Amino acid sequence: MTFDKAALAWHLPWDADWVTAVTFVGKSRTLAAGNSLGEILVWDLPEKPTTEMPKPTRMLVGHSNVVSRLRSSADGRWLISSSYDRTIRVWDMQAPAGKESVDLVLNARTIADAEARKNNGAKVPPPIPAKVEKRDAAKVLDQHKEWVGSFSFNKDQSLMLSGDDSGELILWNFPQMKEASRWKTRNWVYAVALSPDGSQAVVTERRPLVFDSARQASVKLWDTKAGTVIKNLEADFKGMYLSAAEYSADGKLLALGRGGECDSTGGKIFLHNPADGKRIRELTPGHLSGLTDLAFHPDGRHIASSGRDTVIRLFDLTDGKMVKELGKGRGGQFKDWICALSFTADGQYLAGGDMAGGVQVYTLA
Amino acid sequence: MKKLCSPTEHISRRALLKGTLGTAAGAMVANWGGVFASRVVAAEAKKRGKKCILLWMNGGASQLDTFDMKPGRPTGGPFRPIASNVTGIQMCEYLPKMAAIADKLAIIRSMKTQSPDHPDGIYHMHTCYKMSERTPHPEIGAMIARYLGDPNSDLPSFVRMGPTGNAGSGYLGPQYEPFNIGRDGKMPNFTGTQGTPEAETRRKELLKFVEDEFVKEHHAQPFDSHRMAKQRAWRLVKAREVFDITKDWVTAKERYGDTDFGRGCLMARKLIEAGVPFVEVGHDNYDSHADNFVCHKANFSQLDPAWSSLLNDLAERGLLEDTLVVWMGEVGRTPGINNRAGRDHYIRSWSTVLAGGGIKGGQLYGESDIDGKDVKSNPVTEGDLFATIYKTLGIDPRVKHYVGVRPVWATPEDSGPIEELVG
Repeated sequence: MTFDKAALAWHLPWDADWVTAVTFVGKSRTLAAGNSLGEILVWDLPEKPTTEMPKPTRMLVGHSNVVSRLRSSADGRWLISSSYDRTIRVWDMQAPAGKESVDLVLNARTIADAEARKNNGAKVPPPIPAKVEKRDAAKVLDQHKEWVGSFSFNKDQSLMLSGDDSGELILWNFPQMKEASRWKTRNWVYAVALSPDGSQAVVTERRPLVFDSARQASVKLWDTKAGTVIKNLEADFKGMYLSAAEYSADGKLLALGRGGECDSTGGKIFLHNPADGKRIRELTPGHLSGLTDLAFHPDGRHIASSGRDTVIRLFDLTDGKMVKELGKGRGGQFKDWICALSFTADGQYLAGGDMAGGVQVYTLA
Repeated sequence: MKKLCSPTEHISRRALLKGTLGTAAGAMVANWGGVFASRVVAAEAKKRGKKCILLWMNGGASQLDTFDMKPGRPTGGPFRPIASNVTGIQMCEYLPKMAAIADKLAIIRSMKTQSPDHPDGIYHMHTCYKMSERTPHPEIGAMIARYLGDPNSDLPSFVRMGPTGNAGSGYLGPQYEPFNIGRDGKMPNFTGTQGTPEAETRRKELLKFVEDEFVKEHHAQPFDSHRMAKQRAWRLVKAREVFDITKDWVTAKERYGDTDFGRGCLMARKLIEAGVPFVEVGHDNYDSHADNFVCHKANFSQLDPAWSSLLNDLAERGLLEDTLVVWMGEVGRTPGINNRAGRDHYIRSWSTVLAGGGIKGGQLYGESDIDGKDVKSNPVTEGDLFATIYKTLGIDPRVKHYVGVRPVWATPEDSGPIEELVG
């Protein structure tokens, strides 16, 4: 795949609050996005790009705080969401339609802002209405007692690992949705990833104090069975907060992304060998002010990253070169974030959750 | 010719020493605010024996994420309020220990101040006057040292740790300059000894002999000041055990939190117990233009145990009634959350907290509007806050000093204490 023809297919407006999480569901074109209010919207996107903007069809209700991450089961049956409300919720995407629906205005905040500035000549856009069916979660996992910032599956999705801001890590037997084991890190869990076979996990930690000796940043490889550290990679990262972590599908690469608000274009991807923890290479350029999320392309040859600079970058894993930049920096030193990323299972589309209020969906073919 | 005025005539030798100690070069300024004119006020204030601890939130803590939360509003953010031990008072879920002692707190939610940036805000919130004024105003610590300090004490009257004020003693003169120590109790280098106690004594005696001989031929105030500064330092060395909290820390660190700020709060308590009238402890860093919520959450994990343990310990020792604990920074933070997930500086509506010293606890004072964008009722200025603090401590907020021939008051003319808070 060359990504030469990659282009924005749709901008899906939703400005109720920042869009903080996004995922495609199973092998479908169904897209789910979560926001800072704890709301989740679901769109059933067409197979091919259209001029007509798709509207959301479902709203998943239950979370009461920031949705930090969304992922789905490979078969598309389950959508899983983690939140600052300290829960993980599991949604049955094949459940029969609910009876309750709600009318939304997808650009309500934009309209309100324009109304407030009307006297200064601001144009008030027409409303973008949508009627969505409300759904409740099939299961609520409430074992975490702090903000759940990240979770990850192994390849066959028999295991799920989640981490929170108290440093608690819970390994779940996913089909049963039961806790299998747990262990604790010293600091807050920032990002977690499970290796494809589930035997290893990478956990990044932070204690984001400023100018204080108690400030901590860490990254370690863990043996998930024993709950013990295999290797501490801190020395390779020297105080960096790592906001994203993923294993490649074949388990031969571990990608880590530098987040937090870092200097200049320091928001880079670092590729490591999970077997020995050694660094293979850095992918540059990094994102201005920090990286927010990363995802391996299903072709196994590319990786994408999003950042606090409102762009998405695609890199070739074989030579480390950037092959495409999607979106544009919106000017100024700081201007919104693309908070989260997801590829469709066939790699034809890439979605990015946009802090400014919406989801950018790119066609990559 | 007398080399010094006697204490009964002017200022005590020890008080003067404190000033000369605080200025590295021993420099002196003329007419230190007319220090002799307000001795009656000082005597009255001292009778009450009150003390003050300032917990300084350097950078400016967010009112919306602490004591003036707006859950469900666009300005609210991800923190949730929890109930306190006082009906009607809620605070951030990450301040649970403080919520358990809200009956001790007077929460002012209607600060409306004038200096929006750090240097000017730090100055303003330490002096209650604008930095742009030409008059060198003293910090609150210097003012309290002036009126509540014991000039005969071997200990300093104004101690501070961590990131704190930037104005010093201003027109009150060098005897009220702050004595800076580390939050771990680390003392300035000059307080260290260089030999055995016997050797130190012989060294001091020799130096005294040489200086006495020198002074017989050279009478000048700077020489006296220099000698007195040395003597003052030697006395402080004798009292330096007060600054050693190593033993106390073993048992206290679990409660206060094993952090710099936790140690600072324990140190503040120990110094207050030892008779120091003013201690300031700075807490870094609330200037969260980016990632406001994780920064504040991390800070609260240090603030909550340290602040609550300080108040509880003071109360258990019967000291809280006479020790005013002030929590504030230089600015509040914007209700709007910027696109760095941060909050910027904000002075139109923010919060400070008072406890102890006779302050009526368990109450909210003032109110902001629905989104926290402006004060809805009972605006409080810098001067009002300082007048409240001074009145609580028994210091006349309108006590007058002179800078040259110019009169200057402890608080600005249009300010006054919040009577509802003063016990």
